[in-house]
Amino acid sequence: MKTVSSLLDPEWHARYKRIAKLNIRSSIYDVTNKCNLRCKGCFFFSSDEHKVADEEKDIHKWENFIDKEMQRGVNLAILIGGEPTLYLDRVEAFYRRLPTFCATNGLIKVPRDRFPNMMVGISLWGDEADEKVLRGKDTFAISSKNYEGDPYTYYLYTITPKQIGKTERIIRKIRDVGLKVHMQLLSNDEGVDGFSWTPGELEAVHEEMDAMLDRYPETVVSCKYYHQIISTGMMLGRRFGWQECPSVTKPLDIRDPQPKRLIEFIRWASDLNTMHRCCTSETRDCSTCKDGAAHMSWVMVNKRAHMRSSRDLQNWIEVYEMFAKLYQFIPW
Amino acid sequence: MLAATETADIIIRVSEVLINELKLEDVTPESFDPDIDLVDEVGIDSMDLATVALVLQDEYGIRIDEDDYPKLTTVRFIAQYIHDRRA
Repeated sequence: MKTVSSLLDPEWHARYKRIAKLNIRSSIYDVTNKCNLRCKGCFFFSSDEHKVADEEKDIHKWENFIDKEMQRGVNLAILIGGEPTLYLDRVEAFYRRLPTFCATNGLIKVPRDRFPNMMVGISLWGDEADEKVLRGKDTFAISSKNYEGDPYTYYLYTITPKQIGKTERIIRKIRDVGLKVHMQLLSNDEGVDGFSWTPGELEAVHEEMDAMLDRYPETVVSCKYYHQIISTGMMLGRRFGWQECPSVTKPLDIRDPQPKRLIEFIRWASDLNTMHRCCTSETRDCSTCKDGAAHMSWVMVNKRAHMRSSRDLQNWIEVYEMFAKLYQFIPW
Repeated sequence: MLAATETADIIIRVSEVLINELKLEDVTPESFDPDIDLVDEVGIDSMDLATVALVLQDEYGIRIDEDDYPKLTTVRFIAQYIHDRRA
């Protein structure tokens, strides 16, 4: 029988032990249906998820709901929306109870006196030109001023096909404002012309992501195995898709056979009652989904499948470490 | 401490369930080390443990609380846990 120590040298084994018992159990929460931007390609609005449920406005109901979520074993709340920072009282209800990550467009500054160490992920969709096409404004100009030097903030840089050959400039801009960056790929849910990936572009962006990690290891929070998985959609000879995705809401998961999946994962709408199918849009074609967290989780839940060789298990460790850093379970 | 025969029986059966459910290769219930750390060495995760727990719960007519998973780090500890719940 292959064991962990037979596959890893002592240094890698120590890294493995640091993460192996974290037992991260996340769920995702729509904090609100409202946003202060309307981005082309935002899955939330493009699939009308903002219309499926009226948001709960009573903060005490939010607090009771979060307490029940903790009893369910959730130990990481991932807040999305809409724009969560429009309702900081709801964000605070999570933050005061359990480890919380807040996704934001960065236009509103999270007050650090209320949220001293809450991890914040700022969405960024490219350079100034792409941001204006897709989001109506250059959000980096505002978000970088709001969060410059913040040790608990990173950019979630969604790379578009038009960014190939231009990512280094973005990474440098982020480095120069003292922040870190994690990269993922646009899924182009609204079919914006020129923003869908071709096989050649995916190959090129894979190489570029690797190069950025090599050149800016202090700024880029990533690993090459993740780049490979997200650009090819393949892991250990298996193709990502509905039958493989780990991030399907548990009570709605009728797949048979069940794949390895996130335990008790649910994505809740802001009425605190409605559940969404998965971590992203129900209308998205799973075979072309590029969701970064879903691909990371896909690797993470398939640990023993990575016990084929030392390299495979090291790849698994690097992806798990990356996730644990992004959600503050281990330091940068 | 478990009675010797019961110890051996439960340990072998827990090992067998682990090997079957997790499709472990190159090991038999008899050769499985009951003291090997299941997370640090075998590489199982909490979902694996939940799968194994379901089978053992049905077989032994006990409830394995999820809060107790962190304590069930070896086959021997699982066997002891089952014995205690059945007592």
